[in-house]
Amino acid sequence: MNTDLTGRRSRKSSQKSQKKLQIFLAVLLRVLRVFATSASLNLACAIAAPAQAAQVTDDRGVTVTLPQAPRRIVTLLPSLTEVVCALGRCDRLVGVDRYSDYPATVLALPQLGGGLDPNIEGVVALRPDVVLMATSSRAVQRLESLGIKVVALEPHNAADVQRVIARIGEVLGVPDAQRLWREIDGGVNAAAASIPPAVRNTRVYFEVGRGPYAAGEASFIGETLARLGVKNIVPRSEGPFPKINPEFVVRADPDLIMISQNAAPQLEQRPGWASLRALREGRLCVFSPEDSAVLVRPGPRMAQAARLIAQCITRKSAGSAR
Amino acid sequence: MSAAISVSISGRARRPGWLLAVGLLVLAAALLLLGMDVGSRGFEDMWRSRNDPVASQILWDIRVPRTLGAWLSGALLGLAGAIAQGLFRNPLADPYLLGSASGAALGLAIALALLGASPFAGEWVLRVGFTGAAFAGAVVGVLLTLVLAQGVQHTMRLLLAGVIVGVVLGAARDLVTLAAPETLQGLQAFMLGSTGYVGWNACAIMSAVLAPGLVVAWATGRGLDALALGESTAASLGLPLHAMRVALVAVLALATGAAVAQTGLIAFVGLASPHLVRSAVRTTHGALVFLSALMGGVLLMAADVLARWLVAPQELPVGVLTAVLGGSYLLWLMYRRSGVARRAP
Amino acid sequence: MNAPQVALEARVVRAELGRKEILHGVDLRLPAGRWSSIVGPNGAGKSTLLRVLAGLLAHSGEVLLHGEPLRALAARSRARQLSWLGQNEGAGDDLTVYDVAMLGRLPHQAWLASPSAADRAAVERALRQTHAWDWRERPLGQLSGGERQRVLLARALAVEAEVLLMDEPLANLDPPHQADWLALVRELVRSGKTVVSVLHEVTLALQADEMVIVDAGRVVHQGSCGDGATHRALREVFHGRLNVASLDGQWVALPQ
Repeated sequence: MNTDLTGRRSRKSSQKSQKKLQIFLAVLLRVLRVFATSASLNLACAIAAPAQAAQVTDDRGVTVTLPQAPRRIVTLLPSLTEVVCALGRCDRLVGVDRYSDYPATVLALPQLGGGLDPNIEGVVALRPDVVLMATSSRAVQRLESLGIKVVALEPHNAADVQRVIARIGEVLGVPDAQRLWREIDGGVNAAAASIPPAVRNTRVYFEVGRGPYAAGEASFIGETLARLGVKNIVPRSEGPFPKINPEFVVRADPDLIMISQNAAPQLEQRPGWASLRALREGRLCVFSPEDSAVLVRPGPRMAQAARLIAQCITRKSAGSAR
Repeated sequence: MSAAISVSISGRARRPGWLLAVGLLVLAAALLLLGMDVGSRGFEDMWRSRNDPVASQILWDIRVPRTLGAWLSGALLGLAGAIAQGLFRNPLADPYLLGSASGAALGLAIALALLGASPFAGEWVLRVGFTGAAFAGAVVGVLLTLVLAQGVQHTMRLLLAGVIVGVVLGAARDLVTLAAPETLQGLQAFMLGSTGYVGWNACAIMSAVLAPGLVVAWATGRGLDALALGESTAASLGLPLHAMRVALVAVLALATGAAVAQTGLIAFVGLASPHLVRSAVRTTHGALVFLSALMGGVLLMAADVLARWLVAPQELPVGVLTAVLGGSYLLWLMYRRSGVARRAP
Repeated sequence: MNAPQVALEARVVRAELGRKEILHGVDLRLPAGRWSSIVGPNGAGKSTLLRVLAGLLAHSGEVLLHGEPLRALAARSRARQLSWLGQNEGAGDDLTVYDVAMLGRLPHQAWLASPSAADRAAVERALRQTHAWDWRERPLGQLSGGERQRVLLARALAVEAEVLLMDEPLANLDPPHQADWLALVRELVRSGKTVVSVLHEVTLALQADEMVIVDAGRVVHQGSCGDGATHRALREVFHGRLNVASLDGQWVALPQ
């Protein structure tokens, strides 16, 4: 029972004020509930901020704090675009770079120039909550100095892809990002298993460009080839994409040659190559430009890349294992 | 200044040109033998494996045409460089002055880009070939320069037009690589130069351009000497200057185009070869052209053998090595000259 | 005495340099077998006129060489009859003195022929006349300005043409060699050749037989070098800043 200072309150008046208090509290709660449901996560996050803010350390070692899951995302690297979409947040993309082309829905988004030299103004105009881009871009510092949150990630091999998926999962607030990685990894294993044992240990030469530039064991493609159980004639010691002497290929006499369609024409016309066993027996995998893009990009379509290579290996080198 | 030069020039023994020619030919033969032993395993004695069919195939199908091709390409560039310096009376002139380099690079870029664009375009590119595209680009570049300069009459206009065409075609090439970034790697390999794709066919083509080119350049040698004394003097001597210029520009374009199409844009050989020759002997233009070709051949061969050897089985870009070899020698010459001048009374 | 033959004649010649008209309708007759010197103030068009007479500059109007239109002559034919010594242009540092002089024989040599005995004799004569024979193996780049000029003169002499046109032939020459040049020109004229020179040193120009005075793209006077009228015209064209006097029987021009 409340007594005021004078102690003269009657029982009836105290009951009235209690009721008033109850009504007041009820109205207050209703109002709060309205705010809580209609408002964005902002209010809830403002109230519950320390628990939901993400702190992501990107490939530069910089820790970026995101107060809540971003709703407007700009990606400036094709592999990062693919990861965002593979994690199911494609609808949050508001802008991509010129080279992002998968999935097809991103082609409708505003294109902001190349990944290494994007259109700064265009990026800022889109008011992104976060920008995902390559570490080797000059624009990183420029965007940060304009107050934009940048998470710099650049995958070059399978381990990088796993890490990037984890980081982007943190950025997006996706609960089980590793599930995506498990799917991809499983897909690669399945591709490896699909190759008949007689054909494993095929010796492969993978040419990535006119030069000739080969994909060595240390490259992403080399990694995929290794996971599939085939041997690369270019050893790890030569680096990821060495410019090799064409004579080396003749010497090494690979069982299978893999090449992008753009670089493929008239391999037999190269001096000394007409006698290559692989060319004479037609053991040549020529990948279309779209497939080549999948093969060289370390990203969520790794499993698809592995399948492409596995299919070709199975088809072309049947029964020719040394 | 003239005192310094006269001291250093008298230091240059008055060796006759033919002695240098013999020396360069001997050096070329030695480099050819060396080139036959250098490949994807570094240096290996091929005489020992002469009975191995794979090794002998590698030798005759790959290494010999490649080394010979390096000599031929270097000779073409040396010839073109001597012509350019004689025609423009400018010691800094090089064969790429008239837009041939940027034209070739653009031609190759377009070919690389078209290959992926459509099957129809791709077929055409295959028929023409990458070397064909680069050669066509080089010739088109020179023709554009000639059109812009309105003929071969005025060398200043030719030079200016060549610079403009070079810049514009270079920008066009940049646009192509922006639109089709997958062409970048192939284009870069081309711009750095390599003899990796040179076979016997390429050697035959280059020889077919080198021989008449040498003949034409030698025949106009006396005309170039007269031109060195001044345009009005040469005209007053009744020389057919216009016909001479047309012939020389044609040889310049074809020689540069042929070399660039087969081995890419190799810098410095065309610029340095005439200077290297002049640092050893004093000759008239007729002999200079021959010696410059021989010198260019030796320079490129040496660079090519080193490019294959140093990081085998990888290859260094030949253009880097020609600059290092030729440039170091010229730097040493300059240092020696200025040193002599300081000591001269 | 017969009127001398006309070696070179210009009729209503106009010539441009760039887009500016330099010669505004020049009429001129230069006598054969004489030394004529062309003088005038700076920018008058003397060098341009000489180039037109040599057939080296595009022009409207006509130039006749020994009565024949210059345009109708084949280049080599003209080169054999008319020798030109221009102002020093270009380098040619690597060429030897002998090579340079031999270039003068180009109009007489078949396209790829090696030098004949006549060529070698002419070159030797020319080099001896300019006292350059003793150092014929030296490269041009090693010579001083005056030595170089003498070699270029030898080159012009080696052509052995009937008409010699020389633009500032005394550049870099010291007085003894200027005197040599004067003697050489008089010798050439005595043997029947025609010499036309552009000289900015008026005193030396006055030693010629004929004087042509050019001002602002026109010929304002032509006459004998000893003539009073010529001297008066000279004074006029230089706005009275020049005085012509006689010294030891020779005419001397002194700036005032």
